[in-house]
Amino acid sequence: MSRDRFLSEPARIPKAEDAGGAGSARITGVPGPAEVAAPHRPSLADRVRRGRARVHPLPVALAALTVALVAVFEPRFYRPANLHVLMQQWSVLGLVTLGQLLVLLVAGIDLSVGAVMNATLIIIALMNGHSLLVVSLLLCLALGALVGVTNGVLVSVREVPPFAATLGMLAVIQGAILVYTKGIPAGNIPPSLRPVALSGVGIVPYSLIMCLGVAALLLFALRRGTYGRKIYAVGRSPEVARRAGISTIYVRVSAYMACGVLAAAAGIILSAYVGYVDPEIGGNYNLESIAAAVLGGVAFTGGEGGVTGALAGSLFLLALLNVATISSLNPFTQLIVQGVVMLIAVFLFQFLKKRTRT
Amino acid sequence: MIGKYPQIGRRPVARALALGAISAIGLAACGGTSSSSSATSAKRVTIAFISQGTSNSWAAQLDAVARKTANQLGVKLVYFNGQGNATTQLPEIPAAIAEHPDVIVLVPLGEAADTGPVERAMAAGIKVVLLDSTVNTTNYTSLINPDAATAAVPLAEWLAKKMNYKGNLLYAGGLPGNATTILYDKGFHSVMNKYPNIHIVNAGNTNYSISTAKQLAATAIASGRKFTGAWGVGGEAVTGIMLAYADSSIRPIPPVAGAAATNGTLRLAVQDNIQAAMLQFPPTDSQVAIQTAYKAALGQTVPKYINISTLPQYGDIFPPLNKYYKPQYSDDMYVGTNNVLTDSELSSLHLLK
Repeated sequence: MSRDRFLSEPARIPKAEDAGGAGSARITGVPGPAEVAAPHRPSLADRVRRGRARVHPLPVALAALTVALVAVFEPRFYRPANLHVLMQQWSVLGLVTLGQLLVLLVAGIDLSVGAVMNATLIIIALMNGHSLLVVSLLLCLALGALVGVTNGVLVSVREVPPFAATLGMLAVIQGAILVYTKGIPAGNIPPSLRPVALSGVGIVPYSLIMCLGVAALLLFALRRGTYGRKIYAVGRSPEVARRAGISTIYVRVSAYMACGVLAAAAGIILSAYVGYVDPEIGGNYNLESIAAAVLGGVAFTGGEGGVTGALAGSLFLLALLNVATISSLNPFTQLIVQGVVMLIAVFLFQFLKKRTRT
Repeated sequence: MIGKYPQIGRRPVARALALGAISAIGLAACGGTSSSSSATSAKRVTIAFISQGTSNSWAAQLDAVARKTANQLGVKLVYFNGQGNATTQLPEIPAAIAEHPDVIVLVPLGEAADTGPVERAMAAGIKVVLLDSTVNTTNYTSLINPDAATAAVPLAEWLAKKMNYKGNLLYAGGLPGNATTILYDKGFHSVMNKYPNIHIVNAGNTNYSISTAKQLAATAIASGRKFTGAWGVGGEAVTGIMLAYADSSIRPIPPVAGAAATNGTLRLAVQDNIQAAMLQFPPTDSQVAIQTAYKAALGQTVPKYINISTLPQYGDIFPPLNKYYKPQYSDDMYVGTNNVLTDSELSSLHLLK
């Protein structure tokens, strides 16, 4: 099979330890490109009937269940004002989680997304009043891309473990910010940026529309595009992908780069939302984006998960926090409840995944 | 005196681009210890200053005031950077002991973890002055700290009165387990427990983050509850609450109280016509700490405890707030820092617009 033919097939590449993923071919011995392509992918309904449905619908179902339970126990959740706030927050975490998804799909992790968001805010604030807003926004995205490419090169070319590479990058960015600002960031967030997060169509903020637009593009790329197949291929088995003629370096670097750009975009939106120069603005997003992706069915081991799951995971996480806040639970109880619910969700996910495989 | 930071071009684009270029320098500056001497003096007293370190605007102002005071006294100041992290700061204490200073001024980031090293320093004959937080022992030379519990009481009383002693109170917490948070809470609850008709609605812990505080407050406000007052533990929480209300359609904005006042919180209060009361808590108490350490090094008797809340620049501030707001300074300046640092010194810290 030619490389082009391989990439045009709707293939799923199983892991070596995979006992036979749904709709995938098994690898025995040293696989070649021909062995990793599946000739036919059954419909979702077909796979559900055969008990072989992929687990992506689970986080969506969990989110739906949460929505139903909340309607009973905390109806204030559905106030338009609250939904508007939730959507504002979702657009930020959603974008970061989508970036994290791409990196996790190639068996990586990015701990520098929060630092990129911090740097984004500093750049916007510094350049406010000195240059066109669009210039500062482009610079933010360029910084995100540069950080991502550096992470990707460290991981894929220099073979630095992703955890170490991106943690180091976090330190570099934070260090650079502190050295330059001396801990005191100057400037303000331009008022013209704020409608991105505060205004919208009805109760839907523009920021969420952007986030969903990016999600739609990614969904298409991952499900239908050649690039998506490369991502899954590299994540599930880099060796197989390499033998199939895929440049694993290119795929990994591009995934990290996209993650950096999306983190910068999220930083721009969060800056618009907060409207104040908070140098720790991205503080929680490293772990939250990873937690959201994992809740959404994305595997740490790579090659598993999707856009809908990641978005549902981030919504689930934020809805949980939202309900805890509007219920005025004691903050310590909030943490316990959130932790328990997340553990249950992850347990259910793993349990159903195993059942699906067997 | 601490080594100077690298000079960066004035143009914003160049500044932003320079972020990446100076990253390596940043790592070097953030790691390990650095030291340099102050102005010449006949009798050189050496003070090891183990700071909170390069982490936020509070710490930056604290350090700047400490350096200036040391310069004025002709003290050799050896600086140790805690990098805003208890774990990072911990090994700096034995490193400071190894320098054999006359006095150590420590901003403890880990109450329990720092206890042993403080006792070892005292056993080695080095006096220890604690600043802005304490450790689990009384075996130190002097403690310079606000009485947060007491300072919170008049603010909470003001808020309760503004609420007519009834209604929902939006509460945004600080950092769980943090000694200052616990003390502020103690003072706050000692007042609110007297007024059963005030219902405290807990929005959650802000972890001293403006962004988190805004998101939590916005969620609580959007839930539809009507709040007649709001309380924030820390300047970040107060700022977050004000930002959330400013972006909401709710007018008038209910009264807000808490600590500590920055020029930014004052700006928001004045700009959005918010009735607010705040604690004035500038990070200038490092001046008191260095002066106390200097006296201790010279063998003079120093108080075991200096309650900075009783000093004039640390009082609570109440409306009208426009007399405290200084539009020429940036949001990060803590009210009162300008009483110690000159405009040129504030400018070098990006605190002058």
